[in-house]
Order: sequence, then structure tokens, then C-alpha cells
Amino acid sequence: MTRFDPFGDPSLPVRLALAALVLAAAAATAGAFVADPETAAPSPVAYDDVVELGLSSETDALMAGSATIPRTQVFYSQLQYVVGYNGVESFAAALEDDRAERQFGYPVVAYVETFDDARPGTTERGLFDAELAGEWTPAPEAVYVVGSDARSPAGETVVPFRERAAAEAFTADHGGRVIDWGAVRDRSFDTDSAAAVRGMAPDRWTAADQRIAAADRRADRPVSVVVGEDAPTIGAALAAAPANTTVAVPPGTYEETLTVNESVTIAGEDARIRGDGNGSVITVRAPDVAITGVAVDGSGNETRDPDAARSGRDPEGGAWDTNIQLGYGHGDAGIRAIDAPGLFVDDVTIEASASGILLRDGSDAAVRDLRVNGTEEWQDGFMGITGMQSRVTVTDSEFAGGRDGIYLHRADDSVVRNSEFADNRYGVHLMYTSDALIADNAFRDELFGGVTVMTRPSGNAIVGNDVRNSSAGIQASGTRAYIGYNTLVGNELGFSTSSRGSLYERNVAANNELGARATTVVPSSRVVENDFVANADHAAAGAGALRVWADGGRGNYWEGANVGIHDPGERAYRPTSPVDGALHREVALVAVRESPAVALLDRLRGTVPGARSGSIIDPAPATEPYASDRVAAALDPDAGPVHADWRARSGGGEGDRNATGSNAIGTNTNAPNATKRGAATSGVADV
Amino acid sequence: MSGRLAGVSTVFRREIATVVRTPGYGVLAVGLLAALGGLLAAGGGGATGFVPAVVDLLLPTEALVPLVAVVLGYRALLTDAASGELAVIRTYPVRVGEYVAGVLLARLVALVAAVGVPYAAIGAVVWLTAAPDTGIFATHTGVDSPLLYLRFLAFVLLLGAAYVSLAAAVSALAASRRSAIALGSLALVAGVLGGDLVLLRSLAAGASPTTVPASIALAPNGAFRGLVFEHVIGVAFAPEGGFVSTGRAVASLVGWTLIGAVVAGVTLAYGRRVDAAVERVRREIGD
Repeated sequence: MTRFDPFGDPSLPVRLALAALVLAAAAATAGAFVADPETAAPSPVAYDDVVELGLSSETDALMAGSATIPRTQVFYSQLQYVVGYNGVESFAAALEDDRAERQFGYPVVAYVETFDDARPGTTERGLFDAELAGEWTPAPEAVYVVGSDARSPAGETVVPFRERAAAEAFTADHGGRVIDWGAVRDRSFDTDSAAAVRGMAPDRWTAADQRIAAADRRADRPVSVVVGEDAPTIGAALAAAPANTTVAVPPGTYEETLTVNESVTIAGEDARIRGDGNGSVITVRAPDVAITGVAVDGSGNETRDPDAARSGRDPEGGAWDTNIQLGYGHGDAGIRAIDAPGLFVDDVTIEASASGILLRDGSDAAVRDLRVNGTEEWQDGFMGITGMQSRVTVTDSEFAGGRDGIYLHRADDSVVRNSEFADNRYGVHLMYTSDALIADNAFRDELFGGVTVMTRPSGNAIVGNDVRNSSAGIQASGTRAYIGYNTLVGNELGFSTSSRGSLYERNVAANNELGARATTVVPSSRVVENDFVANADHAAAGAGALRVWADGGRGNYWEGANVGIHDPGERAYRPTSPVDGALHREVALVAVRESPAVALLDRLRGTVPGARSGSIIDPAPATEPYASDRVAAALDPDAGPVHADWRARSGGGEGDRNATGSNAIGTNTNAPNATKRGAATSGVADV
Repeated sequence: MSGRLAGVSTVFRREIATVVRTPGYGVLAVGLLAALGGLLAAGGGGATGFVPAVVDLLLPTEALVPLVAVVLGYRALLTDAASGELAVIRTYPVRVGEYVAGVLLARLVALVAAVGVPYAAIGAVVWLTAAPDTGIFATHTGVDSPLLYLRFLAFVLLLGAAYVSLAAAVSALAASRRSAIALGSLALVAGVLGGDLVLLRSLAAGASPTTVPASIALAPNGAFRGLVFEHVIGVAFAPEGGFVSTGRAVASLVGWTLIGAVVAGVTLAYGRRVDAAVERVRREIGD
């Protein structure tokens, strides 16, 4: 055993080792200060592996044409993930907006995709396209063509090149001029933000009004044939009726399967059209057809084309969703429209064995006062409305049971509003559908969720909806979405922030198991002015950088955030922390929260958000709920659905209006055309 | 080895032996390691990288390191004086300066062991375990690097050295173990809070904020905090800096270390004469 002897001279090896250790420590320390940790610029990575921000690459417009968006990949100083931007202008705009820098640090290096040897050009629709893949070039070394005729689905696009000669060759063909990186950064780009989507929501509402009004006018046609008087059956009447006239259907049950080949109005009065249990009951193959005042049942129960799944798996087959397009578009329905734009369905009840209404191939339709009763088990039936590549405008309707209340696939600009959904799988389910408005609907007891948006569309507005007792309130992926003024009560999950570059504001999440879940790995959305009350957990975060849920000095209202002895709004609130997250359930945590250990740890926590993971911080929690009346109504078990008066918000503070119990699902016994639940409904009290 | 160096070396070895034979210092290091590990686990910053780990450790470090340093230093010069060994040592050809230098050097080595090793261990843990949350995306380290943690470690040791030296001065001034504890605690509180309180007071009294980069560097804690902001955490931000004037901050930390050493030496060299003078004055007044 060696004894420690400080007075004996150490042996040579020990002395050498000591000296070496001291030298190494000195050299390492000196090196730590001499070396610049910023200099090691990482090499570009495969774009598939980046976390994508900016324009969506999955909008219908983009997937339809084989267009290309010049891409950028950026390595931020604090962020461990490589961020990809679709569109150079998206990155330039991010640089201009200091939020990116606050959250991710500064860009250590950025690469742009240059198209020197990629044979760049434009599609016939004027979208930028390149035959080959571009190469990655550091952004400051590239040159950029601006003002050319090449466009992206969002508007002007900047096309980068490595060599000036290649850029000039491009301008010779497509116009524009060549500028360098500094000049690109100085330009201000009109990037369409989620706030712009908010601004568009009232316009979409108005557009829906106009579409419905126009359809209503079109449907008002002179009666040419009365079934039972002029013709024995509806089928015979349709054959006899000239275009732009009305076929009147008196009360009664008609056991028929119809095909409409002329632009006529079928106007029923307590009439029931009953199919034979095979195929669709009414098939519309002409434009501007109107179907009003009928009840439909007896369709087949084929939910989709059973062969589609097989043929769609063709490896050479186009988009991955061919299978869905072929399958979902080809089931049985109460009313089926194929290539029949201008369809108007008003005051119609459908007992759906498969789909209620199936729209396909540009069958843009206006639907008012529709009631679809689907199957008990969602696996047995299909959608209330299936809209495939057809713009759908739905108002004042009810969807109960079945698979999804409304399923829209590549149905840009659709509007679903003032409707009620219950016991579906999903209430409203969007795929590849952009620029839609889902507003002022009520959802109850949805098995999977109220509103779900899948794939990565852009510019959807989900506003003023009320979702209760469902698995999830709103789960919207995509980009530039606006999710505002929704009331989410008693669900397993209130809403998720799956859509990037989006705005989540003025939502009320009350009594949910989990109020909100942050999902995207790299935060790029704003989550502000939401109210979180009485949730078991207010919010949780998945993998990814620290999310800062505030914008400027505005945060969210969190019940419990202001419990304690400090001034309200003074302390940052972390709903994901075990201490803060339980403050609204257990007051004793106040004492824990004020402990020096917690205080010291919390103090600087927000300083390098990009380098942290898995949590949410609200640096400026609000002292009062933003929508206290909606919060009160949400917590009152007897109150009906609540819808914020979001269209009037430009006037200032929020005036919520509470729908009374008469509008609650299950008690609604609308007389045909009698109730149009708009802003002027009698059962709505302005508060 | 001859002359002064020999004296320093001998005292140093003797002091090292003292340190090694004090098991409490080992316990101190283990305790510090446990505290740091707890902070790392509770803070969560260490899970992703060095910079967030430093963010979590920075403020607790401002209290923990001075505490450990004061514990290491508050009796360094007192015990010999109290036991009479110092009087014996002074019969040998060892000057007071050499004696103080030897003791301080040994205590600094103890600091490196008791503070540096736990911090280095924490750094190693971060190095081994820090990883992004998910591996499905391409990742990189940003500007995060072990070098930044090494910088932090260097600043931690500089801060600790200042406090060891100040605590040694306290130990020279103290007349008994009890007064050493009292004076050491006072130095600790004054160092950890005092500098910033004075700065706050001066700002409240109307001092210009433009003087802060210079004045914050005057107190050891302010200098340390400024250096960490400037050279560790601030690196993750766009290059702007200016949290503290680096030269002043380093000079301040080194300066406090030297001041402590000088005060200790002066006290040991002239303390008796001062005592004697005070006694004489008192007696004269008494008469």
C-alpha cells in the first residue's frame, strides 16, 4: 500500500505525470478561450432529415403540378435541429423577424439550393420547376434571381444560383434580375402569415354566405313537373323536366333510385326517397342541381371501392393517395355527385348506410340544413359528407354517428360552419385541403376528435368551434393555420399545436385531461391569449426545443399561474414543470415554487430556449382570462355550446355570445328551413 | 530548490498533508457533486447540452463555490497561530510571505480537487449523456461545445480562488475559531450579496448605467457572472457581448485573490505589533 508522503520527493514518473497534467490543463484552458466554437460550420444534410418550416410542400396546388420550391437549410446556434425552409423568402422573412433569433439563436450557417445544373424552368402554370435536384451552396456565396416570371404557390419566388453566369442565363429566359444575399435580406417579402389567415376568416364566411345565397337563388325555378300528377315517379318526372325547372315532390315515400342528368331543382315536401339498398340513392351528373325538402334512405352500404386498395398499390401509380382518391370517392351515398358543380342541398335528411353525400371531381356544393344520421358503429358506415376534389360549403347542418361528419380531400376553400356533430369518429377531417374555414360548429362525443387536419395543407382557419367530451378537440397539422376562439371542454386533449407557422389564439381549454400539447419539434407558431382552466394538466410538450408561448408582452391565461404571493403576471409560468403545472390543483406548491432552488433554476431558464428541450414556458402569464364569459360558460355544465363573436373582434374586446340550450345537440328539432343559426339566431344572447 | 522557493515548497507540502488528513474536505466535494447533480437533474438543461447546463448551474454556483471556498480557507492560517505552531515555524528561516504563499497554494490545490473535480465530473456526464430529444431529424451541436464548459470551469476556479484567498485573510485576522466562522460567514455574505447590493444602491443613487460593465466587475460574483455571460452563454447569441469588460473582470478576480493573500501576510507579519500597540494604548487609557 502506498502511503501519501508529501515530504518525500516524488518519483520521476509521478513528477512528469504531474507536470504533464498541469501543462495539459493549462493548454486546454487556453485552448478553450482561443478556439472559436462558431467556426466549425456543419456540412449540409439530406433535406428529408430537416425540420421543415416556411411554405408547405404538400399543398394541393403544389402537389398537382410538379413544381419545385427552392429550399434552404439553416443551422442555428442554439438549436440542435437543422431547420429547412421551403422558399428562400421564408428564410429571409424569418431572419427579419427577431422571434427566430430569440428562440433559436443566430444562423451559424445557411445553405440554399442552387439550380445551376438542374435545368430550371417553369411549369405551364408559371410555377418554378427544375428537372434535377439542386446543389447546396452557402447562402452568402450564392446569387439570386428576383422578379422573374417563376412563381411559387405563395407568390413571388427567389431562385438561387451558385454562379452568376447561370443566374443570368435564367434571367435571359424568364426575366428578373440578379442580386446577392445582402440584397435578398434587405428586400421585404410579402410572406403570407397566419395573421393574414385570421384576417381572411371573415371574408371566407362572407364568401360562404354568397355561395349559399347564389345557390338558393339558382334553386328557385318554376315548377314544370309535379310527381304523382304529371309523372308517376320521380325518375319519370326527372326525365320529363326541362333544364332550369323544378320537379315538385309531394309528401310520400318514393322507392326509387335516381340519376339526375339535367340542371333541375328537386323540391320535396315531406317526401322520402328510399333506395333499394344497392348503390347510391340519388346520383347527380349535371351542374347546378338543387335538392330540397326530402329525406333519403336506403343506400347501399359499400363505403368505398373494394378494388381501389389493390389497384392503388400500383408502385408506378401517381400520388400516394391514389388509393384514397379511388376508394373514398367510389362508395355508396344518399346523394352522390360526380363532376356536378353547383349542387345545392337544402333541408335534406339522410339516413346514411355509407356516406350521406359523396362529392367527387369538382362537384362544388352548397349544403344547408342537412341532417345525416350515420351508423351506430363508425366502422360500419362512412362520412356524413365525403368531398373529393370538390369545394364544399356547409352551413346549419347536423351530423350524427358514422365515420367522419365531414371528410374533405383536396377540397380547398371549403367552409363548414354553424353545424353540429356528434358521435362521429372525427367531426371534420381535412386531407390536403387548404384555405378552408371551419367555424362556429359544435362537436360532441367524438370518438377520435372534433376537428382534425392531416397532411400539410396551408392557410386553414378553425375558428369559434365548441368541442366537448371528445378524444381530442382540434388537431390541425399543416402550415399557416389560424386556430382561434375555439372552446374545448372536457376532452382528453384540448388542442395540439401541430401546425407550424401558425397562430393559436383566444382558445379556451377547460376541464380537459390535457389542455394543449406542443408537438412540432421546432417551434414556429404563436400561442397567445388562450385560457387554460380546470384542466388536469394545462399543457404538455413532445420532443423538441423549449416552446415560448407568448408574443411580445402577451402570454396566456393559466389557472394557477398567479397563485401565491408575488404580483400577478410577474413570474414566468411553465405548465410542463411539475411545480407550476400543479399549482392550480394544490396550493401548497406555492411554497415549493418560492424555494431558492426552484427560483435559482427558473431564473435564467428562458435564456437559450433553442438548446433546451421538451417544455413550455410562458414568460408573461395573463392575470385574467381573455374570454372570461366563455370560460364561465365552459365550466357551467348546463350551458350549451359557446361561440365567440370572432367576426366582430376588430371592434376591440371580445364579446362572447352563448348559445342557449335549445341549440344543444340532441334537442334540436329544426323545422325545415326554419332555423338558420347565424349571428341573428333568436336563441343567442349577446353578452 | 533553494531559498524562498524551498520555504514555500516545504510549507506547501505540510499544508497539503493537512488537507489530505482532513476527511471533511472529501465530504465537502462529495456534497458539492451531489448538489450539482441534483441541479442538473432538476433543471434539465444538461440533457441537451453544455450551454443550458451552465445556465442551470450559474446562479447556484455563485453561492456554492464561495461557500466551499470559504470552508476551505477560513481556518487555513488560524490553526497554526492558535496552536502556537506558527510561532515555532517562525523560528525557522521561513518568511511570512513564503508561509502564506505555501498555505494558499495548498488550499488552491484543495479547491481544484474539491470544486474542480465535481464540476468536471458534471461536465463529463453532460458530455456523455446530452443528446437531442429525438433522432428522427438531422441534428447538430450549434455553438455548444465542451470548450464552453471548460471556460465555465476556469471561471469557477477563478471565483473559488478569490474566495479561498479572502477566507485565508479572514483566518489570519480572526482570533479564535468561533470568530473565524463568524468572519468567514460575513465574508461569504458580503461577497455573494454585498457587491451587487452596493451596485444596486449606486444605481438607485443615480450612477449612470454605462458604468455598469466596469463596476459590476469589481465584486468577485459580478465579475464571474459577467464573464460567464460574455464567454459561455452569450456565445449562443448573435455576437454582441458587452456584459462585462473582460479584462477588468479577470483582473478583479485575480486582484481579490492577491488582496486576500496580502492582507493575510500583513496581518501575520504585523498583527502582533498592532495587538501590542492596541494593548499599550488601552493600558495607557486605563491608567
